[in-house]
Amino acid sequence: MASVMAVMASGKDVLQPSPSLAQAASTNAGPPVKFGVIGCGYHGRDIVGTLAVLPNAPVVALCDHYGAFLRRTGRSAPDAKQYANYKDLLADENVEAVVIATPSHQHKEIVQDALKAGKHVYCEAPLASTIEDAKAIAMAAHQHPKQYFQAGLQFRSDPQRDFLVDYVRTGAWGQTVSARSQWHKKTSWKRAAPTNEREKEINWRLDKNLSTGLIGEIGIHQLDAKSWFLGKRPQAITGIGSTVLWKDGRSEPDTVQINLEYEGGIHAGFDITLCNSFDTDYEMYYGTDAALMVRGSQAWMFKEADAPMLGWEVYAKKDTFFKEVGIYLVANATKLTTVTGSGEDDAKDNPYNDTPLYYALENFVHNAYVHQSGVEDFIAGFGDEDEDVLREYLVELEGSKKPAANYKHGYEASVIACKAHEAILGNKRIEIPSELFELA
Amino acid sequence: MKLSQRIICYWSVLSLIWASTLLSQAQNTTYKGMFRGSSMKVDGTSTVHDWTIESKLISGAIELKGAFPSDLAVSEVPALSGTPKADVKISARSLKSGKPKMDQVMLAAMKADDHPWITYSLKSLAPSKAERKSGDALAYDSVGELTVSGVKKEIKMPVTFTPTEKGMKINGKIQIKMTDYGIDPPAPKIALGLITVGDELDLTFEWHTQKK
Repeated sequence: MASVMAVMASGKDVLQPSPSLAQAASTNAGPPVKFGVIGCGYHGRDIVGTLAVLPNAPVVALCDHYGAFLRRTGRSAPDAKQYANYKDLLADENVEAVVIATPSHQHKEIVQDALKAGKHVYCEAPLASTIEDAKAIAMAAHQHPKQYFQAGLQFRSDPQRDFLVDYVRTGAWGQTVSARSQWHKKTSWKRAAPTNEREKEINWRLDKNLSTGLIGEIGIHQLDAKSWFLGKRPQAITGIGSTVLWKDGRSEPDTVQINLEYEGGIHAGFDITLCNSFDTDYEMYYGTDAALMVRGSQAWMFKEADAPMLGWEVYAKKDTFFKEVGIYLVANATKLTTVTGSGEDDAKDNPYNDTPLYYALENFVHNAYVHQSGVEDFIAGFGDEDEDVLREYLVELEGSKKPAANYKHGYEASVIACKAHEAILGNKRIEIPSELFELA
Repeated sequence: MKLSQRIICYWSVLSLIWASTLLSQAQNTTYKGMFRGSSMKVDGTSTVHDWTIESKLISGAIELKGAFPSDLAVSEVPALSGTPKADVKISARSLKSGKPKMDQVMLAAMKADDHPWITYSLKSLAPSKAERKSGDALAYDSVGELTVSGVKKEIKMPVTFTPTEKGMKINGKIQIKMTDYGIDPPAPKIALGLITVGDELDLTFEWHTQKK
């Protein structure tokens, strides 16, 4: 009952099938799209492992200039051709789409070359370490409409978060008051390597001249989630950072805090630390009628005592946090029974248990096929002289694609990350003119 | 007849034939399908809810001998000089429901991998005998061949022609059955149980063309 009411409140269609991995593998998941993965470091390996689970995403090529990483990742994709130079991978006609998982400051040339080579592109977030490079990437995506481009803002593909945004738009939390988030994990963030030179290369994230540090490389997802949930872009950011524990010569702080200012007097605080693990990562959104907590793919609503009743919450599962009772929110459109049970049953109650990266790549495969087939059909019927008309058709096609971050989302999030990084390094407040978010 | 007179006579006849051919060719008009504004909707039913799929890519052309009547202020729909040639094609995978899973079910039922195109070829076009008033679109009764999933069937369909700034807008509507084209109405299994899709489909199209 609670699920039906939640579904009705969200306006979501009742007939969404259950998205378990097993079912995805056994149903018609769409024609395959052949992948090349450029950048076989930690995240690249994660991506290859995730693609291996998708039924229609064969990895046919891998690239890394560091042989040991290339060989190691090759063990997860034994049929993939291995390249040391990304240009050779892009020349491989068997590759239809590329995932770019190199260090962020190396994305630009690879994205530009990949689009010129006619490949669909999934570019990890942040798009780049500077606003100029992020803009160049976004413009390249815009100038190549025949290829599909997706930014690696995984949360935008997460079905639970997609449901939550629709729910938030119904005004469930009343008037927006503020927001807060954190990412805590006690870890050095430093990677070991056999030589000093390689260690310097592999620890690019600790170099303030090469990366946007914690706020960009880790915080990008929660920064974007705020823009998405609040429906606003920040107008100013105040930042502060310090190196509390990991004093090993790194130029990036290990503990950072920012305050984002939005229109209407709304502020959002965000802190990231590598020095303490308490409470890991979550986001809070505060409204005059309720607060919303989002942890990973789970969410709870905490209603104010004077907030109007929605009705269905009487039947909903509830969890207690210290003195607060949270109503469990789940995008469980297929179950018509009340969500019950204790916390241990969360996995059973919530069918969306795959990682955001899984959903992001699954949706990329689907969207790349829809995009490519749409372009092919358009050209077969009307030719390709008039790109403006093709672009009009591609706008129509958006309704057939699954939720995903596009180049505009990627660019805007990267602008926020770069400005936040600048504020942190300068221990200051920086204003962000709205024109900076526009792609000329 | 003297030889010179005969030669002049033959050349005159040949010139007349050549000129009249040129004249009739100059009068042929081609209207090429446009993306902007065109749409084919398929409305169907099921045991759970009604559904609609739509394609915005209707390509092809219609060629007429002579110009198409453009005066809607006529009291009667004029006959056309000769049967126009019209060939239309729509990619099966360009039909979209807005729900990715439903699109996959539909394409599988249509065997779209083996039969990627829906095609239509016009065989005859006669003025409609239905009552009309001045200013109404020009109504005709068409007979043509519709091919879906590799199965060709003759269909009779009332259509209307409306001149536009760029060329011609053609509208039509017909009801067909999936099973007539060898398509088994899908019965996808979902968490609630089986959905059974209804056999009858309403096809409604609006095709915008540009005069070439």
